[in-house]
Amino acid sequence: MIDLLFQFLLNTGYYLADYRNYIMLVVGSTFLYLGTAKKYEPLLLVPIGFGILVGNIPFFKGFGIGIYEPNSVLHYLYFGVTTGVYPSIVFLGLGAMTDFSSLLAQPKLMLLGAAAQMGIYFTFLGALFFGFAPKEAASIGIIGGADGPTSIFLTAKLAPHLIGPIAIAAYSYMALIPVIQPPIMRLLTTKRERLIKMPPSRNVSKKELLIFPIAGVLLCCFLAPTALPLLGMLFLGNFLKECGVVNRLANTAQSAIIDTATIFLGFTVGCSTQADVFLTPKSLGIFFLGSVAFSIATASGVIFAKIMNLFLREKINPLLGAAGVSAVPGSAREVHLMGLKQDPTNFLLMHGMACNSSGVIGSAICAGILWSFFI
Amino acid sequence: MAAVGASIVFSGLVALSFVISQIHKILALWEEREKYLARFKKRLLARAAEKIQAPDYAQRQFPDADELAEDYGPLVDQLKQPFTLSQLFEVARQNDLPHPHLSIQRLQEAGILVAQGDGTFTWNR
Repeated sequence: MIDLLFQFLLNTGYYLADYRNYIMLVVGSTFLYLGTAKKYEPLLLVPIGFGILVGNIPFFKGFGIGIYEPNSVLHYLYFGVTTGVYPSIVFLGLGAMTDFSSLLAQPKLMLLGAAAQMGIYFTFLGALFFGFAPKEAASIGIIGGADGPTSIFLTAKLAPHLIGPIAIAAYSYMALIPVIQPPIMRLLTTKRERLIKMPPSRNVSKKELLIFPIAGVLLCCFLAPTALPLLGMLFLGNFLKECGVVNRLANTAQSAIIDTATIFLGFTVGCSTQADVFLTPKSLGIFFLGSVAFSIATASGVIFAKIMNLFLREKINPLLGAAGVSAVPGSAREVHLMGLKQDPTNFLLMHGMACNSSGVIGSAICAGILWSFFI
Repeated sequence: MAAVGASIVFSGLVALSFVISQIHKILALWEEREKYLARFKKRLLARAAEKIQAPDYAQRQFPDADELAEDYGPLVDQLKQPFTLSQLFEVARQNDLPHPHLSIQRLQEAGILVAQGDGTFTWNR
């Protein structure tokens, strides 16, 4: 009986754990703290944080428990990540939740969404320089798009062994938008520029909103067919919302479906950060390059807005460039808050949302293009 | 590779932004199509009518030889017979008579202005 008890103790997590597990448990707890106490992107950080805790409880290998063990429950749930199913479903819900009217009212703001994607390509080059393989470099670069599902989708296709660190880096930086973006915005703009007021948007008709997803899917997916799993679902979701005849489907897509996908996506990505797989020098490199990607993306958007102002008669507020990254609606909110700080009557939220939604489209196209380069 | 990728993304989004910037104009055109079609048809009809009427109008409006003779008779009286066409033309111009070339040609065709064979003309009325 003592032998049995001894055997049992040898199989417990307390015995099997090493210092790396404890590091990851601290990381997971930090995510939970940031999500719950600080309310930084709680919908993402809570499932990911809890997943990190679950994924880093040590277990006896070979029993089909861990996420990397075939036939385990977690492994089956993780299937949605490795095949890119969850990101596509998230995009469906995202489309059903997104109102593109601000973008349709000011199409020129779409260029800021394109400019902010430069972070992806600069980081891609940076990662190649630091010795990452081309497919890994592309997966790291996409962090600059600031779009978790897109990052996971591309990494699942190009470098599945890096899903954990890349997903964690992407979601961490999305959650840290209030910390990362404001200093860059302040550094690159003058007070006078931050005070520029945007004209009120024109009213967009229902028919325009209805035509947009069709025009969008045809134009973007003909250009980059590899972006179909993401953009096809995004525009489908948006069409469900705008057509007005399938409200039940639209409501389900923007609530139950996206919520379910987010839970499983976040949780399994968290679980995939098993200490022995996650705590490697490569992960540190990915975190470093991810922050570079995010910063360059923000800076590119702001600088491009300033360049546009050289040619535009009606100037745009360059802060909006920072909302060109596709972290919806975090970066738009940050731009809005900075605008309000300078002038309490300057409301930039809706204009920021226009840049944000174009950033979502832009980063999905980027993912498609990068994937197609390596097919 | 990075430059190509960035260019593709940019051109894609530029194309999309151009398309969406035109959607409301195309919709406005479609919604007002009856009005525009009617205006177009009206313009086409007016142009066709102009084409048919123009020669008739010119012919109808231009005075015949007898009427011209009435206008030009007093001018010829001022000239010494026989006279050259350039003299008659000059007098007609001084009196602001319309279309002097055409009128003189018409008078010649009607035999009211008779050539003398030496570059001069006489008035046959």
